[in-house]
Amino acid sequence: MAQEYWKWPESDRLSEDVDWRKAKKIVAGVDIGTTGSQAAVFCDGALYGSANISTGYDFKAAADCVMSRILEPAGMSLNDIESIAATGFGAGNVSYASKALDEVRCVAKGARFMFGPNVTTVVDLGGQTTKAIRLYDWDRVRDFTFNDKCATGMGRNIELMADILQIPITEIGEKSLMAEKDPEPVSTTCYSFANPETVGLFTQGFKEEHYSENDVLASYIFAVSWRILGTIGKLQPLDPGDFTVYGELAFTGGLAKNIGITKRLERELYKTALTSEYDPQLAGAIGAALLA
Amino acid sequence: MITCGIDVGLENIKVLLLKDDQISARACGRSGGAGRSAAAKALWNDVLKSAELSASDVSKTVATGRGRKDVTFADFCVTEPIADAKAALRIYPKAVSVMDIGADQVRVIPLSEKNGTSQPAFNQKCSAGLGTLLRYMSMRLEMTLDDIGACAHNPAGGVTVNDGCIVFAELDALELLNQNTGREDVACAIIEAVVVRLNAILHDKTAPPKEGVVLIGGVAKNAAVVSGLKTRSGIDFIVPNHAEYGGALGAALLAAEN
Repeated sequence: MAQEYWKWPESDRLSEDVDWRKAKKIVAGVDIGTTGSQAAVFCDGALYGSANISTGYDFKAAADCVMSRILEPAGMSLNDIESIAATGFGAGNVSYASKALDEVRCVAKGARFMFGPNVTTVVDLGGQTTKAIRLYDWDRVRDFTFNDKCATGMGRNIELMADILQIPITEIGEKSLMAEKDPEPVSTTCYSFANPETVGLFTQGFKEEHYSENDVLASYIFAVSWRILGTIGKLQPLDPGDFTVYGELAFTGGLAKNIGITKRLERELYKTALTSEYDPQLAGAIGAALLA
Repeated sequence: MITCGIDVGLENIKVLLLKDDQISARACGRSGGAGRSAAAKALWNDVLKSAELSASDVSKTVATGRGRKDVTFADFCVTEPIADAKAALRIYPKAVSVMDIGADQVRVIPLSEKNGTSQPAFNQKCSAGLGTLLRYMSMRLEMTLDDIGACAHNPAGGVTVNDGCIVFAELDALELLNQNTGREDVACAIIEAVVVRLNAILHDKTAPPKEGVVLIGGVAKNAAVVSGLKTRSGIDFIVPNHAEYGGALGAALLAAEN
């Protein structure tokens, strides 16, 4: 079988510092996204276990699988967990959850846990949707924006590009940053225009102008970042007098692992994003667990 | 005389060797991005090896497809419609029109005038990537392209997805999966959407003839798409074996002529 460049590696981990058998209260959150699914288990307010898998075609199976990736190695059963909350596109498929929660609320909550209580701008870069969330001094979400219909599927788009270009998806971001200077971006309207255009850049005409593979990827990732920037720009401003104030900025979701996108967004927003020890894709699941 | 045709597409490279007007060897491989030029060369070497020939035996190599300029060792390049037209007339000498369904582009070329270079119809901008959509769905549904092609075509009843735009079609497919629709049903819905788009392209400029239409390109290998398109358009297409080598065949024939 040919190498599957488009697949992001799956992961699961358990904290060694926490003993769930001694915990008084165990809660869990499950985030079933269009592309990836995550679960998080908390013991007395501390993150005990997490898992991150690819959703695949069967949402029900993904919901069961992601939880078992934590339960099985821990020797835990669903009955040990007091409350389980589901969120995300496929939340309805989590049959063992006691409630379903809104994604925006979960991501905001998760981001405050992962990046600290001062986060005011959360940008969630998912497989199909891009969300920007505005928080103030309190935990409640004050404003949020979604992508326009035609900026949908940004994460999935990069999967497809990795497959067409035969470049591992984990390397696309770094390679795009190796370009000396960002060339003109490809189409920023729709990815079904951007993808063939990107492939078209690899013709000899393009090479004659001394464009390398990295330059082509830079042009492509620049276009993706451009679309994401449009979503962030629609947010209610933190300071009505100055639209360039973003406060503490955090990126979550799968594309937050693409350094080419985060670095470009930071450059355009004149702001360095916060970093976290946690996998940025876990924001929704962590938030759901904390709200469970 | 031995000639070679290379068709460098968005997803795949096809190489075909023609010996004294007969096909003697063929090979197909992934294009990739920056490695496209090297991939074409490697595939060319593979074909020569399988035919037990050396590079000097090939009198001419002609490239076509969107990445044709990457084939640095080609003697000359031809555009896709010209190669398609040449191949169609070889496959079926009485052909009056040819439709090439690729990963990215769809072309309909009438062959009545000037060997088809007069009035080709292309996909409208928003039906770009129909072949790519099928590939992505095969990745997503964890079915091979052959599995998808084997899905029974069922236009009446069942579930549907958006037939205007591949991005929306995918979103609809995800929504169906989220509702626990079976993956075969989702594949059928995707095929139906592809067929609707293809039929629209077929009728874009003029009403197509009812017979003598040759179907080539990678998507022509998908049995469900072909039978669906036959039913919807009422055209009895001529689909050759190894339909994806259409462009490469045309290029090799043009190499032999010039």
